[in-house]
Amino acid sequence: MTSHYRTRRLAIAALTAVIFAGLAACSTTVPNTTLEPRTDFGRAIDQLWDNLLFWGTIVFVLVETLLIYVILRFRRREGQPAPRHVHGNTTLEIAWTLAPAVILAIIAVPTVKTIFDTQRPAPANALTVEVIGHQWWWEFRYPEYGVVTANELYLPVGRTANFALQTQDVLHSFWVPQLGGKRDLITNRTNHIWFTPESTAVWNGVCVEYCGTSHANMRFKTFVVTAEQFEAWVNHQKSGPAMAASAPAATGAQTDTSATRPAAQTQTPPAAAEPAQASAPSVPPAQTSGQLPTYPADRLPLYAASYNPVPEELTIGNVVGDAARGAQIYRTAPCIACHVIQGVSAGIVGPNLTHLGSRTSLGAGLFPNDARHLALWIKNSPAMKPGSKMPAFGKSAAMPAGYDDQQLADLAAYLLSLK
Amino acid sequence: MATTVAAPPRYAVPHTRYERGLWSWLATVDHKKIGQLYLYTAITFFLIGGLEALIIREQLKGPNGSLVSAETYNQLFTMHGTTMIFLVIMPLGAAFFNYLIPLQIGARDVAFPRLNAFSYWVFLLGALFMNAGWLFGAAPDGGWFAYTPLTTHQFSPGLNIDFWVIGLQILGLSSLAAGFNFITTIINLRAPGMHFMRMPIFTWMSFVTQFLLVLAFPIITVAVTFLMLDRFFGTNFYTITAGADPLLWQHLFWLFGHPEVYILILPAFGLVSEVLPVFSRKPLFGYPVMVYSGILIGFLGFGVWAHHMFAVGMGPIADSVFGVTTMLIAIPTGVKIFNWLATMHGGSLRFTTAMLFAIGLIALFTIGGISGIMHSSPPADLQQTDTYFIVAHFHYVLFGGSMMGIFAGTYFFFPKITGRLLDERLGKIHFWLTFIGMNLTFFPMHFMGLNGMPRRIYQYQANQGWDIENLVATWGARILAVAVLVFIWNFIKSRRSGAIAGPDPWGAATAEWSLPSPPPEYNYAVIPTITSRYPLWDVTSPELTADVPHTPQGEKRTDISVGGKGTHASIRTPSDTRMAGEMAHPSAKELGITMPTPTLKPLVASVGLTIMFIGLILKHSVNYSSLWLPVLIGGAAFFVISLYSWLLSPLEPEHH
Amino acid sequence: MSTAAITHEHGHHYTTTGLDHRKIAIWAFIGSECLFFGSLISTYLIYKGRSVVGPFPHEAWTNPATGQAFPPILDIPVTSASTFVLLMSSLFMVLAHGAVVRGDRKYSKLWLAMTALAGTTFLGFQAFEFTSFVHEGLTPQTNLFGSSFFILTGFHGAHVTAGVIWLVTLLFIDFKRGLRPADAINVDLCALYWHFVDVVWIAIFTLIYLIQ
Ligand code: HEA
Ligand code: HEA
Ligand code: CUA
Ligand SMILES: [Cu+2]
Repeated sequence: MTSHYRTRRLAIAALTAVIFAGLAACSTTVPNTTLEPRTDFGRAIDQLWDNLLFWGTIVFVLVETLLIYVILRFRRREGQPAPRHVHGNTTLEIAWTLAPAVILAIIAVPTVKTIFDTQRPAPANALTVEVIGHQWWWEFRYPEYGVVTANELYLPVGRTANFALQTQDVLHSFWVPQLGGKRDLITNRTNHIWFTPESTAVWNGVCVEYCGTSHANMRFKTFVVTAEQFEAWVNHQKSGPAMAASAPAATGAQTDTSATRPAAQTQTPPAAAEPAQASAPSVPPAQTSGQLPTYPADRLPLYAASYNPVPEELTIGNVVGDAARGAQIYRTAPCIACHVIQGVSAGIVGPNLTHLGSRTSLGAGLFPNDARHLALWIKNSPAMKPGSKMPAFGKSAAMPAGYDDQQLADLAAYLLSLK
Repeated sequence: MATTVAAPPRYAVPHTRYERGLWSWLATVDHKKIGQLYLYTAITFFLIGGLEALIIREQLKGPNGSLVSAETYNQLFTMHGTTMIFLVIMPLGAAFFNYLIPLQIGARDVAFPRLNAFSYWVFLLGALFMNAGWLFGAAPDGGWFAYTPLTTHQFSPGLNIDFWVIGLQILGLSSLAAGFNFITTIINLRAPGMHFMRMPIFTWMSFVTQFLLVLAFPIITVAVTFLMLDRFFGTNFYTITAGADPLLWQHLFWLFGHPEVYILILPAFGLVSEVLPVFSRKPLFGYPVMVYSGILIGFLGFGVWAHHMFAVGMGPIADSVFGVTTMLIAIPTGVKIFNWLATMHGGSLRFTTAMLFAIGLIALFTIGGISGIMHSSPPADLQQTDTYFIVAHFHYVLFGGSMMGIFAGTYFFFPKITGRLLDERLGKIHFWLTFIGMNLTFFPMHFMGLNGMPRRIYQYQANQGWDIENLVATWGARILAVAVLVFIWNFIKSRRSGAIAGPDPWGAATAEWSLPSPPPEYNYAVIPTITSRYPLWDVTSPELTADVPHTPQGEKRTDISVGGKGTHASIRTPSDTRMAGEMAHPSAKELGITMPTPTLKPLVASVGLTIMFIGLILKHSVNYSSLWLPVLIGGAAFFVISLYSWLLSPLEPEHH
Repeated sequence: MSTAAITHEHGHHYTTTGLDHRKIAIWAFIGSECLFFGSLISTYLIYKGRSVVGPFPHEAWTNPATGQAFPPILDIPVTSASTFVLLMSSLFMVLAHGAVVRGDRKYSKLWLAMTALAGTTFLGFQAFEFTSFVHEGLTPQTNLFGSSFFILTGFHGAHVTAGVIWLVTLLFIDFKRGLRPADAINVDLCALYWHFVDVVWIAIFTLIYLIQ
């Protein structure tokens, strides 16, 4: 009997241990938390959550305390009188039918209110963003400005953003935890969700509806910037491809930022990842990254940087690409069948590349956007991203006609020069 | 199922070759044997589904896990979910329906013994079909709810989804057949005096479950038929280019899917409601309310399905309606929780392993229920849906609820089934490892979800704030693995050499415990007359049932005696090493009881059915596609013929 | 599970309600079937008017690409006729059951045959309807209307076929050893099923054919 006692205490101890482990984890860096909302929508949900958590905890504590009490109090003891045989008690049963009903009412009323508040049509002056899901990347269109981009979403702080969600193929779901709830992208339908970002920052976004092989690799970044920065960004995006004469980048490992990232990640949680510093971009990017009004990749907080490992078997020699030659190759390359570069190519299947050089990441938030990764991506995209719809273009046994390392480097140099 | 001992009739002895060995299993129509078949099959699939879960956990142990590829991972979680729901919990439920319902209501078998065998064989073949995908490296990979259009031929051209669609189709037939069978059995084979309000609570919860089955499965059958026709014959139900609406599938699936989750939990609730009173030495608190709440849960279960679709943009009114109806279910469920607590309150509790698991259900299901309520608030759910917070919820209700309840039932009824007790020491180890491992695995998932981790991802990047929780969860799963192995060891060991149980090892209250363990093929030599809810306590410890309502006349006599009819099998002491089964009961023949003749026909028919579906999938095979129609027609013909020969042959040996 | 419904049982067994097992089973089966056809019919109604290309049930349609013209597909008069035949079959079924109960061999055979015949006629109508629709350019692959229409009515047709086979089996038994009043239950079960299939058709006819 006493052995029961010990083991039971053990178990309870274990359980509480788990809970605290969890809570502890909570207090350390949680860059994608749903509990620090940065929009009106997010806060409305958070208030409901607090209410739910409160009553949930009450019920939890109540039931488990009763249970433990009964267990300890009514263990069979030797020579103890036979138990009383109440087989029912109407008043009690009515009581514990009504009590939950009351709690549920307390939960239901604000719930319904929030539903109707958050599903009103968006305010007229809202910024409309068309979100189009593809297996497995995101297309963002700003009809108001005629801007089209991919996998990197820019929003002005303080202005309501109204998202019109559509999908080219299967179902996806659009979610940036700090900006509020998610909404599915439904084939043959247009869904809507809107909210007003309240502080500048960079957040991770993900696809949260299972959409096939690379569902896990369908990510994007959201940059909430000041109104001026947004203006600057829009103007820049509207302009045609600016082939900046950037210093030619080698595809060698030395420029491989991904090599350095994991190192950083092994250190104690970097300051960059603290939500406080997460609002780094409020520093006008224009000043921090030279000419470009886009967010500088090298200043991304660690949680928002992309540094997935490249499969070992996929390699490329250390060659220096030439943008001019790359531009030549591109004109006749199969790329043009799928990609848009304003004034150069008009494909519509793949992401718009007009300002590829100004983005921070590749492959829907998987890899840093540098010469090496871009060259490798063109060489064999499916190897870097399972199921990728973009074929491998590198020279290989299977594809002798494919591009050699030099040509790949040239293409990469050209595309990266499209700031 | 004769009520009186007729004069020994003259009839041919049933084919003796069916009486023992492999044949006795292939040809059996005995609900007790079929129940055991379900039990062993389901446990096997639990190991497989669990193994898939282990691989999932190893993959997610840390950032950028690379144990399996994306494609394999997607197959793993799809098959893990499908297996656990359709090939583990449901058949485990069926195992207990089969074994217990006839015993509890005082019957000799189910209403349609051969249909019962048919259900099992169809289930087994469907389960194998579903898993056959692994052999071709093309296991289903559309997630366990297989949302269209991803699962249409356009986006999933492989055989993967074909295996899922057809497999589910076959499994559905099995569940439907079983449903009709048990509804009839419970309505029509209750012993004299076994009024509805005297039925053991497990039978009651099973009764409700059967209605959920026969009402929910036609819906999924239609949904799956559409998908099958789309994939194999080019219809347009889910073809987006033809203007199909992806929400059609979602509505049909969840209209089935939510009742399904109560199909998974109600039998567990029933089992726990059998275990708690016995080890509290108190009648179940508020029996009528327990019954009504069960019915109410089943009823409400049909009105909440769209709570799985809060993110699809149904509009404020639908969101509100489904949110509120969902919350309502907390009320009848809460009543159950509190009545269980009240049953224990004031009792004298014996913490056998069965009792520990029953208590485990109360403790853990409550957690899952509460997170369920957190989902039921649509705006809040927009932050939770499709994250690990959901995964946490349904593992607390499924593992902490269904599995815990089923383990409780297994430890409780194992002696009745095998005549031997499961080892209590190993049992306690099994329980504590399970309890601790379970919480280590699934509690952190709440935090993962709230910290933004999506479900169904085969990899995640470091520095997302998910590493610690995932590592803890993986360790939890490893502990669970050990727990499961302890259970398996206990099961095998005790089956061979466990302590002899005797008819009533626990001092239980219901009729089945009056029979020898295991019971003779005919169960009751004489169909008992039931005069109260706790017929056996009326005999063994009348003081326990003193103030429980009995027959209107207040008469308390019942002709049940421990050890079955007469004294020939009275309680045996553990020192008696003979299996109860080996005890000489008079055979059915000696007692002049006609039992159904063993027959292979149900098995044969189910094989025909499966051949038919194999023909269908051949249509998409590379090398044999030309054969599909002949095989399909051949299988169909085979099925119809065997069906006729089955239906036109008598159930029992002819008398005249 | 009509299997359940015609499994041979021995009348003399004790049952709680005094009813034959199969009687209860078939009611459960019919309840289940209601949701089966309910789902099929709802699907048809949900997809009504959602097809991106014709032909359509009640309106004419010209293919913008080919300029080919399609008349409205559904032919109410013909289907009304087949509906009437099916309704009559229910009447025959009642008479057949009565005859068996009376032990009236001659009429039991007659009315069973008539019921089966009416059922077969209905199926004939359906076969004609389907083929003419296909000629008019509507197949299950054409559009949402085609898929949901053919599968819904097709499944109903399959049920009628099963019923006819059941009836023929009973007729066969009647000729072989004669249906005694003791066998009335077997006819009773078949009748329940048959009437149910009829009622379903009434629903289909009203919702799909009559309501535009
Ligand atoms: C055994 C199976 C089972 C059971 C019993 C339940 C029970 C419940 N479930 Fe759960 N559910 C699943 C299995 C189950 N669920 C599965 C498998 C999924 C995921 C499917 C998938 O996406 O893969 C799911 C998903 C799911 C969702 C969708 C989440 C999403 O995808 O966004 C929702 C939303 O409302 C929900 C709600 C509920 C509720 C309210 C209950 C209620 O029945 C719970 C009621 C019980 C209690 C509340 C506790 C006891 C009550 C008291 C102690 C009284 C006092 C309590 C209060 C006042 C709160 N469940
Ligand atoms: C009753 C149902 C049930 C049960 C019991 C379990 C049990 C477990 N489940 Fe789960 N699970 C589901 C139903 C269930 N699950 C469902 C429906 C989904 C959703 C699927 C989808 O999204 O489509 C899911 C999804 C799911 C996920 C999410 C996957 C994803 O979204 O990416 C995870 C992740 O950790 C998980 C883990 C586990 C673990 C660790 C267990 C453990 O409890 C397992 C314990 C058992 C073992 C550890 C077995 C040990 C056996 C051996 C060691 C012997 C092996 C030897 C032989 C086979 C010979 N499950
Ligand atoms: Cu797109 Cu998941
Ligand atoms: Cu649900």
